[in-house]
Amino acid sequence: MTVRFKLALTVFATGLITALLVIATVVYAFQRFEHEATYRRGTGFLGRVVANNDYLFETYEGQPEQFRSWLRNMVLFEPDTQLYLLDLDGAVLATSGSAKIAPGFKVALKPVLQAIGQPDAAYVMGDDPERMDANAVVAVQPVRRAVMSAQDPVVGYLYLVLHTGQLPEGRWAALRMAFGRPALGLILAIVAFTTLVAVLIIVSVTRPLQRLTDAVATLSQRGLDDSPTGSPPVVLPAATRDEFGQLTGAFVMLIDICRSQWNELRRLDHFRREGVSNLSHDLRSPLTATVACLETLDGRWGADPARGEDRRLVEIALRNTRNAARLVQSLGDLAKLDEPEFKLHPEVVDAGELLDDIAVRFAERAMQQGVVLQAEHDALTEPPFAALDIELFERAVANLVDNALKFCGPGASVTLAARVVDGRVQVSVADTGPGIPAADLPHLFDRFYQSRQSVAPATGEGGKGLGLAIVKRIVELHDGAVAVTSTVGEGTKVVLSVPAAAL
Amino acid sequence: MLAHILVAEDQTDIRDLLVMNLRTAGYEVSAVGDGEQALARQLESAADLLILDLMMPRMDGLEVCKALRAKGSATPILMLTAKSTELDRVLGLELGADDYLTKPFSLAELLARVKALLRRADLLAAAQANAQAPGRATNIRNGELEILPAKRQVRCRGALIEFTALEFDLLLHFASHPGHVFSRAQLLNAVWGYTHDGYEHTVTTHINRLRAKLEADPMRPEIILTARGAGYKMRDLA
Repeated sequence: MTVRFKLALTVFATGLITALLVIATVVYAFQRFEHEATYRRGTGFLGRVVANNDYLFETYEGQPEQFRSWLRNMVLFEPDTQLYLLDLDGAVLATSGSAKIAPGFKVALKPVLQAIGQPDAAYVMGDDPERMDANAVVAVQPVRRAVMSAQDPVVGYLYLVLHTGQLPEGRWAALRMAFGRPALGLILAIVAFTTLVAVLIIVSVTRPLQRLTDAVATLSQRGLDDSPTGSPPVVLPAATRDEFGQLTGAFVMLIDICRSQWNELRRLDHFRREGVSNLSHDLRSPLTATVACLETLDGRWGADPARGEDRRLVEIALRNTRNAARLVQSLGDLAKLDEPEFKLHPEVVDAGELLDDIAVRFAERAMQQGVVLQAEHDALTEPPFAALDIELFERAVANLVDNALKFCGPGASVTLAARVVDGRVQVSVADTGPGIPAADLPHLFDRFYQSRQSVAPATGEGGKGLGLAIVKRIVELHDGAVAVTSTVGEGTKVVLSVPAAAL
Repeated sequence: MLAHILVAEDQTDIRDLLVMNLRTAGYEVSAVGDGEQALARQLESAADLLILDLMMPRMDGLEVCKALRAKGSATPILMLTAKSTELDRVLGLELGADDYLTKPFSLAELLARVKALLRRADLLAAAQANAQAPGRATNIRNGELEILPAKRQVRCRGALIEFTALEFDLLLHFASHPGHVFSRAQLLNAVWGYTHDGYEHTVTTHINRLRAKLEADPMRPEIILTARGAGYKMRDLA
């Protein structure tokens, strides 16, 4: 849920709740106002009736029928209103209505006394004898005899039940009545309109945030490299003075810092590669001269039996110089393979065939070591064709075979296999050698990583942990991956997987 | 007659060692210290083989190579380079050097390459001599494949196919021994004249290219076949 949506929803909900509360308040106030007005009218009316008719009770006592019809006449103006004469206990003596009053019914006297005792009350609710409930506005006047006695001469009450229109019972029903569909629709429309206005305001206020989000998203997609494809650099929105502006400013600063650090890193990495590459290059000439000298000496002294010891010394020097030369070459090659500009020369080739050839290449060495070296074939699966840079890929596999042979003793076996699995060619080199401790596995392909447990003989490519780093780099260049599994005492299996070529 | 080799190398130590060992191996050797001198000396009196260092003052090995080829010289050139893979390939494939060695190299390897280059030049000269005497060279047929060694031409399914010199030599070697299985090392030795380990991938690449040019479906080859675990052969129709 976007922030904008949340804000709009909040505005809408608040608007709706406010509108409903206002409606409820208005309904309540309206009802109260109606009650009050009715009550005042009724009380005034009764007051005038009592003031102008001195012999009310006497009339009732003398001529009850006449009194009843008089009562009826009094309320002709408002047919919904009923007028009663009560005795001091609240029993109905006479009524203007024709409905039967339940025998023995007595109007509750508490509201009656309240109406008489507190003439300033807003209104009084009392019993309605016809309906037998207590939800009517009532007006009350005490009735006295024309000839007053010394004590309070009240002999009864005129009791007026006022029905204010057709208001039904219950607040919700009242609400529905007062604010039926037209009003409710109008209110909803008003709420919707204000919500819309609020949304527009929210959108315009949060626009900088949106722009910032877009810019940051673009940036994170493209990375920190200066756009090489000619697309314009990511521009963050201009800073405004509010919090969004501060946020934008902070982001701009953050990105600037990241970019400058990234450029610095790349510069240093470039220098490192250049340095290694140049060093490797510069070391080659002296090494060439040294190797050539030693070989010349070796050739000259080879035939001379008197020079046997000298020749052994030359051999040692030659072997070590050659190892140094190989290391220098590996370093230079790795620096080369690391360059972003380095391009493969892929050709579609049968990886199984390549493994065959590699097995042939190492066959003699394996035989001398007493190791069984074989390339496995699975005639049932499709031939493992892949677009490979033959020179580099052969070098990667050869490094693995060389490594396996280095650690395998007589009787062990090294097996090469290539098969197609899920659109990828998996080339595996498996040996039954001593295996690699689990702690070393994650670092096996790191540059210059040397296991503490197993010390590699200083022969082969680099001899100092560069061979496997080169394998990893070559496979990466092929959009591939290296996986290694090993069990100490059972053997090691390295799997190179690269995309298969479409047949 | 002694073969004459011109060595161009700016580093005195290496140059002296090369001259010393080439002379010991029985060649007539002259040496210069930069590319300009090498070009001038070669144009003045042509040697049978040039050994050029890639990085030299005033004129580098590549420029000498290009200048000589532009003047129509076919003298074999062995390039010495201290650079890694990328440039080597460009050299080998496009710029007219016949072979290259990456420093540091072994003297034995250098001498083997020199010998191979000279032998190939001799064979080429002999082939051209044959071409001028028609009827001498035998054409080879193998099904839809036809090889004319004298013209160094190959026809397959009626179409003339272009090959580089090494591709042609490799094909000719296969075609001359139909049914005979060669390992990559044997092919490297017979066709390239290399004796050292580490260049076998070149054979794979060339066989791949031969198949791409000759086979109806390079992924199911029918002319140049694989002998699993042993090497490659041309089909034997006889």
